[in-house]
Amino acid sequence: MAGSALKRLMAEYKQLTLNPPEGIIAGPVDEENFFEWEALIMGPQDTCFEGGVFPARLTFPSDYPLSPPKMKFTCEIFHPNIYADGRVCISILHAPGDDPMGYETSAERWSPVQSVEKILLSVVSMLSEPNDESAANVDAAKTWRDDRKGFEEIARVTVRKSLGL
Amino acid sequence: MDQNADASFDPSKNYDEDTLAQQREIEKEIAASQAMVSQLHTFDEIVEEYSQEDAIYRQKIEDLKSRFKNLRKTRGDGNCFYRAFGFAYLEKLLNDGKEYKRFLDIAQKSKDELIGLGFPQFTLEDFHDTFMDVVKMVENPGTVDGLFQAFNDAGLSDYFVVYLRLLVSGHLQQNADSYVYFIDGERSVKEFCSQEVEPMGKESDHIHIVSLTKALQIAICVEYMDREGEKCNSFKFNPFESLADDTDTAPAFTLLYRPGHYDILYPL
Repeated sequence: MAGSALKRLMAEYKQLTLNPPEGIIAGPVDEENFFEWEALIMGPQDTCFEGGVFPARLTFPSDYPLSPPKMKFTCEIFHPNIYADGRVCISILHAPGDDPMGYETSAERWSPVQSVEKILLSVVSMLSEPNDESAANVDAAKTWRDDRKGFEEIARVTVRKSLGL
Repeated sequence: MDQNADASFDPSKNYDEDTLAQQREIEKEIAASQAMVSQLHTFDEIVEEYSQEDAIYRQKIEDLKSRFKNLRKTRGDGNCFYRAFGFAYLEKLLNDGKEYKRFLDIAQKSKDELIGLGFPQFTLEDFHDTFMDVVKMVENPGTVDGLFQAFNDAGLSDYFVVYLRLLVSGHLQQNADSYVYFIDGERSVKEFCSQEVEPMGKESDHIHIVSLTKALQIAICVEYMDREGEKCNSFKFNPFESLADDTDTAPAFTLLYRPGHYDILYPL
């Protein structure tokens, strides 16, 4: 099982290196272990996260791509769909039926034809368009809804911190 | 289920993670105790699964015994229909070169059709390549044992199942107009496919069986064993029935359906 997962992860890594999507860098932390990746995600333009570079970890199960990986930001980030400890909570990281947030039925789910690239692109759109309907961080969702200026100010502080400023 | 009523309920804790972890444990137990595809069983062995009091099921096993020689079980992991279908069909192809050629051609062409429907080429190819590797085992090594090994190798067997799921999804999407009224809930055919067809472990219903037999143009028979009546009900899925030329409609193989599960039957 892990053999086909490894083959697939190596192919995905190669693909991401040859054709990197804008604003995303990702690959294994250590080429000896393809089941643990690090990703760097640039804050999307024209959003309060613009200019930031946010590091995250992806942990793949041995039956990947039948099951999805887990993803966790390793930096500080205040966002409705990211738990306070950094875990990312979006529908594509869950198979249908694994329903921690009660996503809408139309939300895109994990299936074996999805890929790391699809996940990272979904994370970029999550940064641009937080979903406060199924919030992992309730404080962040409230702030986003009721005090947009305050949310943007926190985001800008996060951006500066992500750059080590 | 009573977590909310429990005094120790901690709203900051993520119980979903615990539920998922528990599900994974159950899956592991099933995987450890059941082969993905079993060796052949006799009905004298199968009848022992039912208690003496269970007269209806015991009688139905006798009915099966009068018509079938053996049964091959599949793992109860939500993929049983696909695994039973795949194994039974490839096993039949071992002795049918003409049908094998026809299937090989359909299987080859299916990749571009699915890409045309919008499946991502990069990941689809991964599954198609493995699917073709397994299909070609009909030629080499060309033995039941070879197929048995492949279907019990998770890396091959599960990839094969994924591709059959994609074929079902492709057929449903290509013929969305004919299926949209048979889908539960206010869902589009595409939503149904991404929720109930493509993910591993999602069980199959009538609609999945109809789609797979039509997508691959294979007639099959299913024996339904439930608490109704005295004998099993045979039901033929015949993808050719709407065609004028229905010359070759003998079922390629027969599956046994017991509520929630499919196994393979071998006629006398």
